[in-house]
Amino acid sequence: MKKTLTAIIALLLSVLMLASCGAASGNTSSETQPSEPEQSTELGSTDVTITFWHSASDQAGVIMDEIVKSFNETNGKNITVNAVYQGQYSDATSLLQTMLSAKNYSDLPDIMQTDATGKVPYYNSGRALTIDDALSRGLIDSAYVGNFIPAALSNWKFSNVQLGVPFATSTTVTFYNKTLIDSMGWDHIPESLTDLTAIYNADPSIEKAALQAIPNTPSLANWLGQDGSYLVDQNNGTEGNATKLECIDNGALEKFLTVWKELYESGALLNEDTSKDTFIAGNIPFLITSSSNTAAIVSATEESFETGAMGMLKVDDSSAAGATVSGSCIVLFDSGDDLKIKASAEFLKYLTSDDVQAKFASGTGYIPGTYSSVDSAEYQKVIEEHPQYKAAYEQLMSTPENMKSVTVGPSADFYYAIIDSVSGMLSNNASVEDTVAGMNDQLTLLLEEYARNNS
Amino acid sequence: MKKRQKKTIILFLAPIFIFAVLFSYYPFARIIINSFSKVNATGFITGFDGLSNYTYVFSRSDFGRAVSNTLLLTLLNVPVTMILALLFALLTEKKSTLGSISEFLFTLPMAISMSAAALIFKSMFSPDLGIINKVFGINTRWFQDPKTSLITVVFLTVWMGIGFNYLLFLYSLRNIPKGVVEAARLDGSRGLGLIMKIKIPLISQTILYTVITNLILAMTCSAPMIIITQGGPSRSTTTLLYMMYSSGLGSSDYGLAAVVSIVCFVLTMLLTVIIFFATRKKVFYR
Amino acid sequence: MIGSKRKSSDIIIEICAFALAVIVVFPVIYCIFAAFKTHSEFMSPALLPESFGNLNNFRNALSQAPLMRYMLNSFIVSFAGSLVRLVFSVLAAYVFAYFDFRGKNVVFFLLLGTMMMPGDILLSTNYSTVSHLGLLNTYTGICIVSFVSASQVFMLRQKFMTVPRSYIDSAKLDGCSDIGIVTKILIPISRSTLITLFTQSFLTLWNSYLWPLIITASKPEYRTIMVGITKLNSWEDSNYELVLAGVTISLIPSLILFVIMHNSFKKAQ
Repeated sequence: MKKTLTAIIALLLSVLMLASCGAASGNTSSETQPSEPEQSTELGSTDVTITFWHSASDQAGVIMDEIVKSFNETNGKNITVNAVYQGQYSDATSLLQTMLSAKNYSDLPDIMQTDATGKVPYYNSGRALTIDDALSRGLIDSAYVGNFIPAALSNWKFSNVQLGVPFATSTTVTFYNKTLIDSMGWDHIPESLTDLTAIYNADPSIEKAALQAIPNTPSLANWLGQDGSYLVDQNNGTEGNATKLECIDNGALEKFLTVWKELYESGALLNEDTSKDTFIAGNIPFLITSSSNTAAIVSATEESFETGAMGMLKVDDSSAAGATVSGSCIVLFDSGDDLKIKASAEFLKYLTSDDVQAKFASGTGYIPGTYSSVDSAEYQKVIEEHPQYKAAYEQLMSTPENMKSVTVGPSADFYYAIIDSVSGMLSNNASVEDTVAGMNDQLTLLLEEYARNNS
Repeated sequence: MKKRQKKTIILFLAPIFIFAVLFSYYPFARIIINSFSKVNATGFITGFDGLSNYTYVFSRSDFGRAVSNTLLLTLLNVPVTMILALLFALLTEKKSTLGSISEFLFTLPMAISMSAAALIFKSMFSPDLGIINKVFGINTRWFQDPKTSLITVVFLTVWMGIGFNYLLFLYSLRNIPKGVVEAARLDGSRGLGLIMKIKIPLISQTILYTVITNLILAMTCSAPMIIITQGGPSRSTTTLLYMMYSSGLGSSDYGLAAVVSIVCFVLTMLLTVIIFFATRKKVFYR
Repeated sequence: MIGSKRKSSDIIIEICAFALAVIVVFPVIYCIFAAFKTHSEFMSPALLPESFGNLNNFRNALSQAPLMRYMLNSFIVSFAGSLVRLVFSVLAAYVFAYFDFRGKNVVFFLLLGTMMMPGDILLSTNYSTVSHLGLLNTYTGICIVSFVSASQVFMLRQKFMTVPRSYIDSAKLDGCSDIGIVTKILIPISRSTLITLFTQSFLTLWNSYLWPLIITASKPEYRTIMVGITKLNSWEDSNYELVLAGVTISLIPSLILFVIMHNSFKKAQ
């Protein structure tokens, strides 16, 4: 017994040693910087193949394949784009993380489509070729960057660096069941939460709730943003790592939670995570969700009731209209190979060109990211044919540039802590003051833990 | 010990242990190191951190919840899966034409992947559009109500486990020598008595196996939460490994992920060892 | 008299079993029916599609991702992975069942421990190991991490232990080598168990997703079927009916395997 045990302990120890060596060498191994660009090669002089990671699936995947195919056939500069579908955005981000932690830089893509989950890993990758870099290297010019709609562009800024450019843009909108609202006999379609509360308080006989929602990071940031407040400091974490909440001292969170609690007490709110099913089944008149769902919701409901769309419900009548932008962006990587970088920039410009943007937008329900593509005849025709698309487009154009979506390190924890606190306030009938204090403690602790690990 | 025996032991165990060291023990050893270290958002160790990761995790309010949810899920999943699988196996033990169709149907859930099964259950149990509420004329919120969400997850995990367990039970029941059962019949054993006194003890080695594998699967369950409930509502379905996934990997806190994984490992190992030794004398090998 | 009475109770049991089996298999039926539905039909709680002639989902599923190629990859990986796994497991189970050595229990629990380590957290280290071994973007790289299956060792150990040790010892006295005992005595006796384990292992590998995705990042032609199926599911607008059509297609090989398995059971018994 003793002998085997010793042997096992020895085995375990050696595994541990091996592991710590691995960990240590992983830590100290010389980070080979991308080699200095060799003398620049001209595009077109020789064949070049670049790798493009994307997460466009279903209908969007088909369109993406077509876009890549047509670029490969028509670019005239001997560029071949090797497009690889890397699973959902979160899968592609874990892949990126895995490669980075294994220091396997040779398998990184030249150009990638990512969403909010990829922002920070990309920024920390050590191989990012940001839009600011591309500008200074002369790969793109300022006119190109200036064509993007500011609210869409600024969504992809982190630590004051423009990481990428918007590819498919969406925003949060409100869908409403006009048929149901008419049958409830309301004289107007409410545009704010307080308006809804007033309607329900005036008529206690209404049985159906109006809205099924629990605020989470993006929706809370939107409602606070409408009242001119950020959720966290560093402009919602876009200029650097957030360290504290910025909606406590100015009373914005307290105001919002008060409105939210009154809404619940009036009977207008169902304290449940938003489910499209409830809306599609005709059981609830309002649905707040991403505008990228427009096509799906319209097609799922057109046979049963009339669906309208408008901007995100406001907190009260004095709040500004608007909601932050989400969707996906395109980022570039620095492979150290000048020709590949040039080719990637070429493909980047193609992906954000008017035709491609309008084609992708009309096929999916996203909004194009540039001024010239939203003005294009093709996209304007789409808006005319589907009035429900218009709400998102109008909201995007009117959203103030300083309304920013939240970027924090502990993103998943942050998201669920907000959901739990707000829904807990309603289900446990806790006071607004206690909830504000509790949220402040809990969320700040998460930020501190992240800062401790990354100092 | 004879030299030849020693050689055989080493030779036969080597293949599996080489790969176990490479792809399980070595990465897990790194997890143990991570749990005592400061790990940044890219996953690199930046320094020694003592027990702070542990104290941080143990101080979190959702950690206790995750432990109790994991244990509750296991406590529900293991007996329900086994009782159902055993019942189905007893019903189809005797071969017949209809029985062989039933046999095939009972094992079919094995062929469905967890992610597909999760999609199917999510849509069947949708409170507003799902077929379950429609057929039974009820208005249960299933995955969306903190009171029913964990039970609904158990439906899914039981369903996923039933096929394989059924197959093992069926096979071992049919392997019981006919003579033993006949002898018991002659002694007057019938029905439930025959099952409890003769059949169950005779398949006890399969039962031990299913208890332990179901236990491990339930303790390390995270996929239904990742795909359907995101640990909610109100953390009612946050299990240890979902916490590892969401608060650890999803929030770039690799120290937390390491600690939670280790806690889950230790708890599972502890339960396995306890069951193994508690049943040692009761398991029957022919 | 007694014979016919027993027969009628058998029939009742058979019918009960069949009714239960239909309930158990219901989600699979639901999945197959849903694959024939249109998007708006899927949003309604009806079980049956309006028409089984609606093959659009299958057509779209097959055109949106190279599912056939992916199925071939999945087949290669699942088959090879399951085979290696089974061989390793048989060898180890033989030792655990018939040899006594000090610390056997500890070694056994050490092996069981591999089942308790969450795969997701081992992912990044295993990725770098496979990358150092130069096996990224290969079939070997996909299945190498699944060669160890403690649960199979455990099952086979349980099975082997039902074979009396005296039987094994007398075979040894007759000059049978260890390999001979395994191949000539234990494998034939455990045929059904081996088939069951192989099938279960095949299905598990067939259905794995994240590891094959990550390991084939640069060579999508090595991807497996489950990666292909997620390409049918869009990010924000869930097209479940299309995904379920993909799942239905991916079920076909599994069903064939099932039929083979059930047939070999009949032969084995």
